[in-house]
Amino acid sequence: MKKLFYKLCILLPVFVFCLLTTNYFYVKYYYWSNAEAIDAKLLFTQDSLENCSDVLYYAESSNATAANTDTCLQSISQMIDSLSPLKVNAVDHGAIHARTFLQLIKNLKTDSKVKTIIVTLNSRSFGSPWINSHLETNIAQANVMYEPNLPIFKRIKLSFNGYDNKSIQLRDQDLEKDWSSVKLNVPESFPYKTVRQWDNAMANGTYLLPNGEWDMPKITLACHYIKTYAFPIDVNTNPRIQDFDEIVSISKQKNLKLIFHLLAENVQYADSLVGKELVNIMHQNKQLLIDRYHKDGVAVVNSFEIVNGLDFIDQDWTTEHYNQTGRLALAKNVLKYLQ
Amino acid sequence: MLFNSLHFLLFFPIVTILFYLLKHKWRWILLFIASTYFYSAFYLPYILILYAIIIVDYFCGLLIEKRQGKVKLFWLLFSIISNIGLLTYFKYFNFFIDIFHVFVPQKLHHLDILLPIGLSFHTFQSLSYTIEVYKGNQKAEKHLGYFANYVLFFPQMVAGPIEKYSTLGKELRAKHKFKYKNISNGLRLILYGLFVKMCIADNLAPLVNEFYLNPTHYYSSSAWIALFAFSIQIYADFYGYSTIAIGAAAILGINLMDNFKQPYFASSFYQFWQKWHISLTTWFRNYVFFPLGGSYVNAFRWVFNILLVFSLSGFWHGANYTFIIWGFLHGLFYLLEKGLVKFYPETIKQNVVFKFLGANITFILVTLIWVFFRAENFDKAILVLNQCFTYGFDSSLNLKISFELISMLVIFFLIEIAIFNTRFDYFLKNSHVIFRWTGYIILIISLLLFSGIQSFQFIYFQF
Repeated sequence: MKKLFYKLCILLPVFVFCLLTTNYFYVKYYYWSNAEAIDAKLLFTQDSLENCSDVLYYAESSNATAANTDTCLQSISQMIDSLSPLKVNAVDHGAIHARTFLQLIKNLKTDSKVKTIIVTLNSRSFGSPWINSHLETNIAQANVMYEPNLPIFKRIKLSFNGYDNKSIQLRDQDLEKDWSSVKLNVPESFPYKTVRQWDNAMANGTYLLPNGEWDMPKITLACHYIKTYAFPIDVNTNPRIQDFDEIVSISKQKNLKLIFHLLAENVQYADSLVGKELVNIMHQNKQLLIDRYHKDGVAVVNSFEIVNGLDFIDQDWTTEHYNQTGRLALAKNVLKYLQ
Repeated sequence: MLFNSLHFLLFFPIVTILFYLLKHKWRWILLFIASTYFYSAFYLPYILILYAIIIVDYFCGLLIEKRQGKVKLFWLLFSIISNIGLLTYFKYFNFFIDIFHVFVPQKLHHLDILLPIGLSFHTFQSLSYTIEVYKGNQKAEKHLGYFANYVLFFPQMVAGPIEKYSTLGKELRAKHKFKYKNISNGLRLILYGLFVKMCIADNLAPLVNEFYLNPTHYYSSSAWIALFAFSIQIYADFYGYSTIAIGAAAILGINLMDNFKQPYFASSFYQFWQKWHISLTTWFRNYVFFPLGGSYVNAFRWVFNILLVFSLSGFWHGANYTFIIWGFLHGLFYLLEKGLVKFYPETIKQNVVFKFLGANITFILVTLIWVFFRAENFDKAILVLNQCFTYGFDSSLNLKISFELISMLVIFFLIEIAIFNTRFDYFLKNSHVIFRWTGYIILIISLLLFSGIQSFQFIYFQF
């Protein structure tokens, strides 16, 4: 035992020295190529923007996705930039969520030019389908790269599975478990208490479309709306709530003005395809988020219903992708909070 | 819990410290809890399957020992049916449903369940116990805790080596004192195992995956590279796992059998199977080949037995025709080789050039046969093989191998040559201190800088 103890006393400093030397070589030759390989490119984006921006706009694909028919391809952040005297730049990437924003905000330097940050508050991202998405492993991997740690530690964490790398099968299983066991906030008289029950009823014709018709493509889409938007937000366990809460406290620590941008959802379609019960759930979740973060002193831009159903690019899917009319409406809404 | 995870790097030292702090009589409880926790980290509910296997085989063992004649046989069959039944339900049910659909048009639903990790390993290990008790070679274990640890022992529970109770049971019961040499040997093996898994297998995996996604998009030279890459990947993956398992057990003072002995240096298929996944080969030899009559049967029956055992061993790996073909081809080449070698005089067989040529031919053939193991289906396997021998210009992509990966492969190759006929820990133990420390530093730096950035689960976990 003694022999081992003495050896450890010698080995530990040697190990630390080796680690620091390796870190030097890692940063010099491999760090950036690794970041690129696992699609953690926002590391460069934020680095290059934080000294030339007044405002950073953190977003997923809602910011920059444009419709084929758009004549103006400006993203929401670019529209805000052109309408505002402040320099607004975006740190955005498809499918990312609050956990990524949080890590990136942690990385913002204290002497950076950025004084305001706008973070998209995507209510859909609080639901089980997004939390258990198949992309989550890749996102979790990239998030390791965004952590404010010594690069070699991030490398070790990646190599030794120090992130949420559940298999696709396990994620599907967790999703199915949520769908079949989590009770929805619906009236007592409503017969379907879980997503699975409601979805099955819609799929097999027990629960008809609000207009009473039988239209298979619409039913498929309605099922999709149920699975995507019908969920309660448990503030104690929902990982997104924890991430947004942390974003609030980090912003306070860094003296940043924080704006949450509650993104528009296609409430019109939810209403016409599924009905008022689903719309109620969507409103409950929206209100919970607004109230929670208003209480924390955060400015929450409510764009939840400002986009017309037809201005959503994906008409047969649930996304926050808007055509130029939709993007402009959102940009103008945000602008009110910047002035 | 994966060996190459931060979770394990935290879990294992805690278990080791507690193991040596506890008195011998309490250690089985620690190992039981640790193993349960280790397995539960993959997927909690499936620990119940393992408990079921333990309970069934524990009582079957006791009943087999007590009873005689047909009742004794009944309890053995009960144990076999229970184990194989579980395996069939979780692993082969959907495969049999597909076969059923070929003959009967009635639609039966597939089971939508996850395959419990390492199920084929636990069931085979546990079965070997009841069979040995039945044969009278093993006394039934009276202590449920020790028996449970035999099935559950965390370093080897999910991918072997498949141990007999006569060896692992004895090791688990023995009083292990803290010995510095156990710790250092174990750590050496863990370090090398991690290097092999993370720097070799995990770096080759993306290359192989990329090729198998769209084999027709690549030049035949790339096809060959992908084939050899998979050959090395699967070896590095499984060998790396086994080495870590043996190392982790060694730290606790428990010796596990070696599962690999540089199989790609084998000069024949016969030798290959003496060096590759030794514990599984031994299991099939003892519990399938010998009961079928082994070599003490007529030539026709012997050929049949060999082909059956190899095919079954293929089927053990996965519920797909491709695995059966993989096993069958190994059996076929084994038989062809046996037939050919008969005609060579002994002097030629011992010749170095003959052995060298044999090793190369065996490696190339084994590599080609791996295609059936890796491809998702038979058509894909044929497509891949076809691509190897198509020298057209319709393909456009080349697989790129980085300088770092080539360096890792060279280091791996040199170490494997250096430890030929020995083991990494023994080899380092007997080498000069400067050489030894240079080795450690190279391996640690390789792990820090060049391990695969994307982690891939151990291939054999799915079996």
